[in-house]
Amino acid sequence: MDLSKLKKRPAFPFETIAVAISFSPRCPLILSEAKRLSDILGATLLLLHIGEKNIEKEQELDEMMANVGIDSNKSRVIWMEGEPVDTILKLCKLNIVDLLIIGALEKENLLKFYIGSIARNISRRAKCSVLLLTNPTTNQFKFKKFVVNGVENPKTVHTINASIYLAKKLNAKDITIVNEINVPGMAMAMAEDSTAPQAKEIRKHLTEESEEQINEIIKNADVGDVKITSKIIKGKQGFAISKYARDKKADLLIINSPDTHLRILDRIFTHDIEFILADLPCNLLIVHSRL
Amino acid sequence: MTKLAHSELIVLLLSISAMLIISRIVAELGKKLKLPVVMGELIVGIILGPTILGMLYPDFFNFLFPHTGNVPVAMDGIFSLSVIMLLFVAGMEVQLSVVLKQGKIAIYTSLFSMVIPFFTGFAVAWFFPEIFSISTDPHAKLLFALFFGTALSISALPVIARILMDMNLFKTNIGMVIIASAMFNDLIGWLIFSFVLSLTNGSKVEHMNIGYTILYIVGFGLFMLTIGKKIIDKTLPWMQTKLSWPGGVLSISLGICLLSAAFTESINIHAILGAFIAGIAFGDSVQLKEQAREIIHQFVTNFFAPLFFVSIGLKVNFIENFDLQIVLIVLILAYVGKVLGAFIGARIGGMSRNHSLAVGFGMNARGAMEIILGTLALNAGLISKPIFVALIIMALVTSITSAPLMRRFIN
Repeated sequence: MDLSKLKKRPAFPFETIAVAISFSPRCPLILSEAKRLSDILGATLLLLHIGEKNIEKEQELDEMMANVGIDSNKSRVIWMEGEPVDTILKLCKLNIVDLLIIGALEKENLLKFYIGSIARNISRRAKCSVLLLTNPTTNQFKFKKFVVNGVENPKTVHTINASIYLAKKLNAKDITIVNEINVPGMAMAMAEDSTAPQAKEIRKHLTEESEEQINEIIKNADVGDVKITSKIIKGKQGFAISKYARDKKADLLIINSPDTHLRILDRIFTHDIEFILADLPCNLLIVHSRL
Repeated sequence: MTKLAHSELIVLLLSISAMLIISRIVAELGKKLKLPVVMGELIVGIILGPTILGMLYPDFFNFLFPHTGNVPVAMDGIFSLSVIMLLFVAGMEVQLSVVLKQGKIAIYTSLFSMVIPFFTGFAVAWFFPEIFSISTDPHAKLLFALFFGTALSISALPVIARILMDMNLFKTNIGMVIIASAMFNDLIGWLIFSFVLSLTNGSKVEHMNIGYTILYIVGFGLFMLTIGKKIIDKTLPWMQTKLSWPGGVLSISLGICLLSAAFTESINIHAILGAFIAGIAFGDSVQLKEQAREIIHQFVTNFFAPLFFVSIGLKVNFIENFDLQIVLIVLILAYVGKVLGAFIGARIGGMSRNHSLAVGFGMNARGAMEIILGTLALNAGLISKPIFVALIIMALVTSITSAPLMRRFIN
């Protein structure tokens, strides 16, 4: 497989979708969601299982696929043994997967969070987009309300465009692009010698700057009949958008992939995506723009 | 319980009101000339202190700021409280997650901008103690060299934040690198300084092992920044919704600051470390409402800060203790060490030459943090008055020149 194809590959369309199979009780539901999504997006579906391949598991998987209605001609099952996170990531790279779907608990116990579960560790390290399903169902897709990050980052434009693409395909009408303003040191800088109008002006300027940036991206995107609104909120990146998505009862939170390799220290001194992974407010799509 | 006499209470109230009102007027005038507020406060201290008022009207000076009786004791208590509060709000702006987020460039910039000035200062103090009239006793020489290295390596987050805000660089890459590096500098700088101060406690720590001191400092810091911070994270929403607003969060946060300061003081590490670390634990909490943060800042910056900075001028005669040679040496070392260190760090981190120089000059601002550090060192008997005066001048000069020099390289 030519790995150079991965570099600069656009964040969307999602042509190849992979789903991680674990044979857990939620597995049929996740498989069902993956099947439906791949049908809507016209994508090839890959089923990945990391573990021993035996007759019982094969039969179980065949049964699950049949129940969900997965056509074995349009999908491929890959069995491989090895360390789950590394193996899944390797398979995604080798098969030029655009979107990896995994089931995830909304919240994990403290120890597991710090050590890092399979789903969370894949989210931190994946070189493709990752969809974490917190509450998979066999009902019709209920991804109708999207909350998308609008942070100042070169990746954001790809994330917003991927959200619009997905919204059109899933017939979602409501996208809110959220930009979180957190300026460390600002309270201290203003406390000494800013008059009330000056402080107000500084805050207004920061808000307007963020709004302009989002509007610029929306202006250049083909939004169709998707309704897009922008929202500027105060708070730490990751934490504020997560709270907003929860309060707004969003179906899907869409964010940029992490900029740096995240380690345990990033969980202890939590920032950005780690706030979201610590307590998933809803289903989470991490868009990898492959810059 | 000893109480202030009727006349003493009047003198105390008069002196505090004089410090607050005059420093505000001078600071507002200074603002028109784009001078830092702290400069106005220092000038008022010099005017009201032995340098000018004490020389021209010694009787009035001795009436307003008596050296005997209960008033100086009460004043000393207020000034100690002021410095603890100042360190608490300085800590509130340190967000370790910002340093992690900026990644290697912030780490390199921060490390080099600390290590190079530290070793430059340490080496000059160690090999040429005669310049600073330091005793050749190895213990005193070592303490001074450690202090001098720390004094040159610290940055002033409040001044830097203000400069970045004025230059509209707050949200830029360069701004975030400077802020993140300054935060890390502050944290390490205050940890080292607390260690140095604990070694100066003479009889109090004569039986205390240096290893234990380091262990206490690191242990306390780690506890507060992990478990302590988690506890604050969990309880803050309750404080902010169930208690009176903003009184509840204000009194509890300041109370915890004092508790933490008392704890570090009791284990022979200076109270400032407890306040600083408590500030980080509070300020870094995602649950702290921006309004609460602003209220705490306003309260401390506009009440305790003027009292503390004016008090500096009351203690030292700036004309008598001005030594041009020491001032020039301190200034040269401060500029060379800090600018060069930050420049090298930013370059290794991948920044362009001009932006690296801008980072260097940005981080060179020492401001209020240096003044606090110098004052504590003077009180602890670590440094002489001429060195203290030189540090104050260095803090002011680096703060004033930081923005124009940055501008040259950003444009």
